[in-house]
Amino acid sequence: MRGIAKSMLTTLSAFTRRPVTREYPERHRPIPERDRAFPILLWDQGIDEPFCTGCHACERACPVECMTVLMKDNPRHTSQGGNSSRRKIIDKFWIDYGRCMRCNICVEVCNFDAIAMNNTWQGHELSVYDRSDLVMDLPQLLSQHRQGNLKEWVAE
Amino acid sequence: MNYDLFGLELNVWVDALIRVLLIVGFMTVSVMGLIYIERKILARFQRRLGPTRTGPMGLLQSLADALKLIGKEDLRPKSADPWTFEFAPYVVFIPVFLGFVIVPFLFGWQVRVIELGLLYFVATSSVNIVGWVMAGWGSDNRYAMIGGMRAAAQGISYELPLVLALLAVAMIASSLNLQEIVSAQGRVPFVVWQPLAFFIFFVAALAEMNRPPFDIPIGESEVVGGPFVEYSGFRWSVFFLAEYAALFILSAIGAAVFLGGWAWPLGEELGRGWQLILMSAKTGMLIFLVFWVRASVPRLRIDQLMGYSWKVLLPLALAQVLVNGAVLVYDWPKQVLLVTGVMGLLALFWVTERAVRQPRTRPAMTIAQSEAAS
Amino acid sequence: MVTPRALEHEFETQDLMINMGPQHPSTHGVFRMVLTIDGEVVRDVVPYVGYMHRGAEKLCETMDYRQGIGYMDRTEYLANFNAELSYVMAVEKLLDIDVPERAQWIRMILCELNRISSHFMFTGAFGTDVGVFGTAFTYSFIQREIVQDLFEEITGDRLMYAYFRPGGLAWEVTDNFVARVHEVLADMRQGVIDIDGLLTHNEIFVARTKGVGYISGQDAIDYGMSGPALRASGVDLDIRKAEPYLYYDQIDFDVPLGEHGDVYDRFVLRVEEIRQSIRIVEQCIERLQPGPIQPERMPRMLRTPPGEVYIRTEAPRGEYGIYLVSKGGNRPYRLKIRSACLSNLQALKHMTVGQYVADAVIVLGSIDIVLCEVDR
Repeated sequence: MRGIAKSMLTTLSAFTRRPVTREYPERHRPIPERDRAFPILLWDQGIDEPFCTGCHACERACPVECMTVLMKDNPRHTSQGGNSSRRKIIDKFWIDYGRCMRCNICVEVCNFDAIAMNNTWQGHELSVYDRSDLVMDLPQLLSQHRQGNLKEWVAE
Repeated sequence: MNYDLFGLELNVWVDALIRVLLIVGFMTVSVMGLIYIERKILARFQRRLGPTRTGPMGLLQSLADALKLIGKEDLRPKSADPWTFEFAPYVVFIPVFLGFVIVPFLFGWQVRVIELGLLYFVATSSVNIVGWVMAGWGSDNRYAMIGGMRAAAQGISYELPLVLALLAVAMIASSLNLQEIVSAQGRVPFVVWQPLAFFIFFVAALAEMNRPPFDIPIGESEVVGGPFVEYSGFRWSVFFLAEYAALFILSAIGAAVFLGGWAWPLGEELGRGWQLILMSAKTGMLIFLVFWVRASVPRLRIDQLMGYSWKVLLPLALAQVLVNGAVLVYDWPKQVLLVTGVMGLLALFWVTERAVRQPRTRPAMTIAQSEAAS
Repeated sequence: MVTPRALEHEFETQDLMINMGPQHPSTHGVFRMVLTIDGEVVRDVVPYVGYMHRGAEKLCETMDYRQGIGYMDRTEYLANFNAELSYVMAVEKLLDIDVPERAQWIRMILCELNRISSHFMFTGAFGTDVGVFGTAFTYSFIQREIVQDLFEEITGDRLMYAYFRPGGLAWEVTDNFVARVHEVLADMRQGVIDIDGLLTHNEIFVARTKGVGYISGQDAIDYGMSGPALRASGVDLDIRKAEPYLYYDQIDFDVPLGEHGDVYDRFVLRVEEIRQSIRIVEQCIERLQPGPIQPERMPRMLRTPPGEVYIRTEAPRGEYGIYLVSKGGNRPYRLKIRSACLSNLQALKHMTVGQYVADAVIVLGSIDIVLCEVDR
């Protein structure tokens, strides 16, 4: 009986303590800057074009093959009369978020720091009714950083 | 013949109808309130928030659940026994419903003042075991069947200590009428004179209601809901209604019989409004205790449950009845009751602790025995 | 307790077969066991595994060493760091590279914290199996969440960390790492007090678990059990002591042992292991020095020489071994995971037969299986 009394006192002490739950959709937990949601592409604000040159490094390194990359000649390269130093640039880019396993390898292999893991809540709240809606195309991948929504954290 | 309800002279049928409607209305509202309160309190014990979304502070959660359950499809397995399956919820529900008749809310405030109220209650409340077995058997599901059998074993075993504990009190009060039992307590409630009987009553009531630690028939982690496993929608909600109504009734009767009902132990006599609040507070205390126990203890095993009833609670309850009889016959002072009660309670605790400290037992069967048997 | 007298059937009776799982609240995932019961007594148990088989071993053979790390997380989702550790240690041994000291200490801290969170997961799930309505579960999960918050701050993910790399760590820990670990440890101590107070001395809990699911030390060895389930039977085998890896030989800690080999001992032993892990982390934190976390000149693509290696580490559930065969090149020729859960699960029948149905549930819970690790 003493053991049961001790159990009941334990629960009573918990009764007086503050609940730990958060009312999620209204109140978000602050997420750390290193948080990894899904990979997105970064936007070179200085030249106003993506960092990504479409070099296929991430596509080859991806363990689950969730990426599709197509490159093209950069119309804004200096040789074409533009102000960009990138000879090639990304043409089309798809990432299937339904396949991605968020291993961070694409970020590590990128030579141009053009891809990063989303560290905002928008990157987590992606529920859709159709799986095909999880396949993100280039504008969707770029929009987050283009609007300046990302928190700064760049992995070594 | 005319009957008297709130001073009105009414036809017998009209009177009965009004009373039934009163019970049904009160029962439904109180059960929905209880479910909400339980979810909130249990959540706090577990450091959660509980329902918050439906209505202010989640107050409408029970209503939403009730509407959802009524709207759900009433499924019946193809292989189930139609009559047994469909009538089981009502066989569980109606005895509980009948128990409301004798709940003494205030002096004179009872659906029907019955001279043998306690006997009536004890007799009706145990009928619902039949419903549990029907639900378990009729579902044609093995989990349900195990659950139904467990419910039968448990209900029968714990009926006896419950009855004996109530009997002990009825002996002291020299009445089975709940009004008179409450009045007989005066300033000092029976829990002081009969602590052992109160403890036995509380434990047996937990078992009667299939509340943890005695929720063996339902046992979510073992038989996944037991007899309820095949029920859905309205029929399932009827089981739920019965469970919480039983919780309310047993708590109210416990408050009346052991805690002095509407009597205020200190100072002067109170007005009727205060008496109602006092009665509700005492009932609420018992209900809170039930929730508190639910949050704190694991589930017993079926053999331990039976052993505890037959080897511990029943002998001690019988001893209490004997002591009470001796006190009544030889006109000993009331203090004897207090001393023996406390001693009995200590003996009960000691037996419980000793049972746990016993050397570890080996399994009921070894593999070799099992293979030889099959 | 059913006496032999009751087993002599006076009427003709029939054993009942009930199917538990793969969708049953207390099979801890998609595990199925078919129980043959005589009344409430279990006569026979037939476990079925494989519902979660995703071919993690074969998948790893098709990808290079870095890509495999993510799959190790997914085999053992409650003790990811321990699983990753076995894998990266196997690769390091093949490559014959030295890991910087700081990386090793951080690995130790993270592995022990992960052991704490895994054991808390056990206490919570076990509490539910025994029938505490959610209370043990929430108390445990509060602690587990705190550990996960720390892991998220460091690695960026709450569950699939993918943080260890052959040679060291993926990146440096956060600046306030030491202070945060101390905070987490303070919470863990409170959590152990809560769980201890709620369950360990509770008479009903003790009555339910003592003497249930008995297995002798010799039988446990014969079944190939490891980890807490083995030590509860009194066998002193902890790989951290027996074959120290990382820097466990420089750390002072005890290996708790059970005496009776029953479910209660397995529970108490795990609670005690939480305390020991807290002790280990405290010592590791003191010895943590600034320094590199990756060896200099790591090749960008890891290419191993031909060879084979077996590495075993003490994961929370027992011996987590990686057998790695390389024929050269950048991917393993063969990878085999020695799962502690699968071996421990072998003893289920031995421990369950003759017990009650309710005990079958808690015996399964006391083995503390992770179905992803069993089926891989």
